[in-house]
Amino acid sequence: MPDTIDMIDKILTDMKNVGGVEACAAVSRDGLLIRAIVQNWQFAESFAAMSATMLGAAETATVELGKGIPHRVIVESGQGRLVAVGAGPRALLVVTVDSDTGLGLVLIELEKAAKKLKELLI
Amino acid sequence: MIKTGIPKLDEFLDGGIPKGKSLVYYMQPGVEGEVFGMQTIYSALKDGGNCVLVASSTIPDITRGQFKEFGWDINQFNNKFISVDAYNPLIGAPSKEKYIVSNPDNIEEFSRIIVDIIKQLPPSTIVFGSLSTIMDLCGERKVIEAVRIWNKMAMLYDHVMVYNFTAWPYSQETLDLMKGELFNAVISIGGIVERVIFGQYFEILKSDWTKEIKRSMLFRVLRPGGIKLYIPKILVTGPFDSGKSTFVHALSTRAISVDRLGTTIALDHGHVDYKGFSADIFGTPGQERFDPIIRLLSGESMGVFLVIDSTNPSDFTRAKQMLKITMSYGLPYVIIANKQDLDGALTPEEVREQFDLPEDVPIIPAVAKDKIGVYEAFEVLIDSVTGGI
Ligand SMILES: Nc1nc2c(ncn2[C@@H]2O[C@H](COP(=O)(O)OP(=O)(O)OP(=O)(O)O)[C@@H](O)[C@H]2O)c(=O)[nH]1
Ligand SMILES: [Mg+2]
Repeated sequence: MPDTIDMIDKILTDMKNVGGVEACAAVSRDGLLIRAIVQNWQFAESFAAMSATMLGAAETATVELGKGIPHRVIVESGQGRLVAVGAGPRALLVVTVDSDTGLGLVLIELEKAAKKLKELLI
Repeated sequence: MIKTGIPKLDEFLDGGIPKGKSLVYYMQPGVEGEVFGMQTIYSALKDGGNCVLVASSTIPDITRGQFKEFGWDINQFNNKFISVDAYNPLIGAPSKEKYIVSNPDNIEEFSRIIVDIIKQLPPSTIVFGSLSTIMDLCGERKVIEAVRIWNKMAMLYDHVMVYNFTAWPYSQETLDLMKGELFNAVISIGGIVERVIFGQYFEILKSDWTKEIKRSMLFRVLRPGGIKLYIPKILVTGPFDSGKSTFVHALSTRAISVDRLGTTIALDHGHVDYKGFSADIFGTPGQERFDPIIRLLSGESMGVFLVIDSTNPSDFTRAKQMLKITMSYGLPYVIIANKQDLDGALTPEEVREQFDLPEDVPIIPAVAKDKIGVYEAFEVLIDSVTGGI
């Protein structure tokens, strides 16, 4: 068990080290927090549940419309961005990004990290 | 009898550890296990007992700091709590403890001091911070022989012996002894990976003073707080407007809801800290148009509250349908007969009849908006959740 957790932590640490990333979390599709690197732990579990719901709702909406599975959900506000991507059938990855950084590199790294997480949890 | 202080464990052990008995916390490497011995020390001190901590893997001062992290003030028990320092001498540092093992790698000396303590002190709880460290220093066989003697002596002098032991790759013979005949009780502590639940559990492998054993429980270590039994997901579902969100908020220590125009459009999420339990609560929407989200949220639940509006039997068909959608059949579930304050609310018995529910499904009358019945319901559900693992 510690091995898998260590590996998930490694994925999250790498993601957290990408410029502009403030927090990141691995979350199960049904909303349980797997692991996270966040400032405010009290809120991490709710954050996980909300993120899973957002991505799940977005997927349901687009699939029902015949538009396929969305690559990601991006939420923008004055204080920053939140990005959620699916990582296989069991999990998703969520990051929050500050408002000054371009998303380009973050999205590329997030895609890579999601693939790794998917492999780990198969 | 002393209490271990670990939630539910005392209940499973028929009250705790009787005087003269020994218990080992047998941990897989990598799990957070040291806290078990510490929680037992704190519990025994709180109940007015005397305690001895044999510190062999850290200096006693650091251990005192760890107690503080868990929110346990042990300074108030100053004259009842004694540390045996078997660490400072190892690193050549001075010690200010009353009992010092000057050569912790010499089992004869170690044993002499422990035996002295056993003979001199009034009946106490003697906790070894890390028996595995002593084994690493003195060798497996010698330590096992010493433990046999300590346990026998403790029996004669009415002490309770508690050992933290990490199951490093020692010889199979040693590990079998540790899990078997050497102690009166063995609590095994390990990690599990089940789908996406990464957790730690403890399990009673052996206890020679109780009948029914073989129970295992998920736990978490909180700072402050110590060991809490952990339930990763409890689902709250039920028809539209039955009071699910109200119930989640009434039960939770903290909770949030994604409600718009008075109805839940995503979920309610709450965290419950209650009687040694730590649980996360997921409330679903009720309206049919959100069924995909209800399905999405209900995986991995360990138990379910089905909230119904007792004044509205026409909703019972939908309620049953929701048990199906959430795949709750087969899980422990409890019916919350809510809104009992309103005129025309059906009694639990009437609900059972109209709903056509089996006798063994608990129905708890509740007024969620006034927090009536919610904790009772939690205890009933928790009992079947923890009984069933
Ligand atoms: N009289 C009474 N009203 C209650 C009680 N519990 C909840 N309510 C009220 O019932 C209404 C619906 O409560 P919610 O908690 O939002 O119900 P819900 O099941 O979450 O509703 P949806 O999410 O829309 O399905 C609110 O007006 C509550 O104040 C109760 O015990 N008694
Ligand atoms: Mg609601």
